Amino acid sequence: MKPEDVHKSGPILSMNSVEVLYNSVMLAIKGVSIEVPHGGMVALLGSNGAGKSTTLKAISGLLTAERGKVSRGEIRFDGNVIGDSLPQERVELGICHVIEGRRVFEHLTPDENLEAAAPMSLSRGRVASEKARIYDYFPRLGERKTSLAGYLSGGEQQMLAIGRALMTQPRLLMLDEPSLGLAPFLVAEIFEIIKRINRDHGLSVLLVEQNALAALDIVSHGYLIENGRVVMHDTAERLKANSDIQEFYLGGGQARSFHDIKHYRRRKRWLS
Amino acid sequence: MDIAYLSELAVNGALTGLLYSLFALGLVLIYKSSSVPNLAQGALTMLAAYVVLALSRQLGFPLWLAIAATTIIMFFAGLGVEKVALRRMAGRPIVMILMMTLGLDIFIRGSTLAVWGGTSRSMELGISYDPLFLGPILLSRINLAGAGVAIALFVAFLLFFRTRHGIRLRAISDDYIASWSIGISVEHGVALSWGMASVVAVASGVIWGEIQGVDQSLSQLLLKGLTVAVLGGLDSIAGAILAGIFLGVVENVGSSYLDSIVGGGSRDLIVAAVLIFTVMLRPHGLFGRHDIERV
Ligand SMILES: Nc1ncnc2c1ncn2[C@@H]1O[C@H](COP(=O)(O)OP(=O)(O)OP(=O)(O)O)[C@@H](O)[C@H]1O
Ligand SMILES: [Mg+2]
Repeated sequence: MKPEDVHKSGPILSMNSVEVLYNSVMLAIKGVSIEVPHGGMVALLGSNGAGKSTTLKAISGLLTAERGKVSRGEIRFDGNVIGDSLPQERVELGICHVIEGRRVFEHLTPDENLEAAAPMSLSRGRVASEKARIYDYFPRLGERKTSLAGYLSGGEQQMLAIGRALMTQPRLLMLDEPSLGLAPFLVAEIFEIIKRINRDHGLSVLLVEQNALAALDIVSHGYLIENGRVVMHDTAERLKANSDIQEFYLGGGQARSFHDIKHYRRRKRWLS
Repeated sequence: MDIAYLSELAVNGALTGLLYSLFALGLVLIYKSSSVPNLAQGALTMLAAYVVLALSRQLGFPLWLAIAATTIIMFFAGLGVEKVALRRMAGRPIVMILMMTLGLDIFIRGSTLAVWGGTSRSMELGISYDPLFLGPILLSRINLAGAGVAIALFVAFLLFFRTRHGIRLRAISDDYIASWSIGISVEHGVALSWGMASVVAVASGVIWGEIQGVDQSLSQLLLKGLTVAVLGGLDSIAGAILAGIFLGVVENVGSSYLDSIVGGGSRDLIVAAVLIFTVMLRPHGLFGRHDIERV
């Protein structure tokens, strides 16, 4: 089930059999291998606790904040092993992780949120033009740029979190469940903008979602991760057509019954 | 009691209060970046005063140069303390970090006692003790000068927090994991706040050293400083300023009434009452941040 397209210049991100340990004992992902091609959009799907966020944290280096550690495997960005460099060094390389749950700086204005993320090496003028570019993508933010970010709506906060990440001038943007708790029309709006940025600037995107339906509409490939392992990898088209995925993931991320999940897990073991 | 005397008490109380605020500013700076009240702030203040004296008396620097050099030394000492003692504590329970600052406090007090002994030394800034009259009100020149320095520092820090570096520090105090995720070096930000708090310790050490002499009791400013910081909300500079003025006025006016009744010593009781009632009734202080909750 390999995607058929050939990566011309090698992938921008490749993860090879990566294992992550939390607190030196809890094995959260067990040999995950994924690739994101240059300028590509890839989804990482899976249910609660599958290891999606852990995978992103391994890439961004935020694992250290939670006493987690890559215990095996390697992660390459642009062909170079990133090893155990600091999160800020990875941001400088061009990796930016929009963490789960929005996490805007609530006591700062949206304008200040964006400014906080601008690399110190950018001139004042560049910071202003970059902010203008973000407000161009997210006009709603521009209208509220001087109120405290904590008072923005959920959708506006998600836009701000994405805009803030874009201020770091990333080449790989990783989004952790941007659709969480948002109305479908907002999800569509935000995904449309992500798609546009990907098209305009060739920004590579790794999108973590439980909302598989929405995600598979904008990405070219997807990985399905379950219990810390990749259990399926295919083009978005084929994943959408896959009966397992349809049955269990295309519901749009609502809570599924325990029975369904167990049923699914049983099948998964059988499949993989 | 007549109105002139009352206003003299109030004005002088406010000036002293601004000096409490100056001390509390150091606590606020560190609390903002690392959510821990630095129990060593009093010891740092005392250390700064001793270093100024050592440079000017023992090495013969002119006083202004001694103060300038101490500012630089203390800035780097603050960075060093954070790097050596605090950074490895990241992610540990807050109470352990608090204990670490207590350990630092004891260590600095012990070392200064060993090096400079227990006798009180005077700062000798050269500010005259002649009375200064504002209309009918008698003012202390050193308190007035100190209040001026305090206000200048407050303004400087309020402006600093609007710069790009300052915004990044505020981001760290909001959410350090989100700060990491966008490439802010949280470690450097926290270190910078220790450096700045140590610089504030120089200002407050010099002024308080002039007022009450340089000895171990200088470190006990921590108690009033903490009261002011807590009343001001721990993470708010403006809160610390207003809380300091409030405490200074209440303490000065209140004790002049109460001392005649209880026969002295009521200052500490008033400070204790302010601290206890703040914690009981307004745990976020007058200006502390509540978590923003949207409806
Ligand atoms: N900080 C942590 N310490 C210990 N275990 C953790 C930690 N964070 C996650 N885990 C565990 O690692 C596993 C994977 O968690 P992860 O957060 O990556 O899942 P996820 O796929 O993002 O789930 P969700 O959809 O709920 O966000 C889970 O079993 C979880 O309990
Ligand atoms: Mg997650």
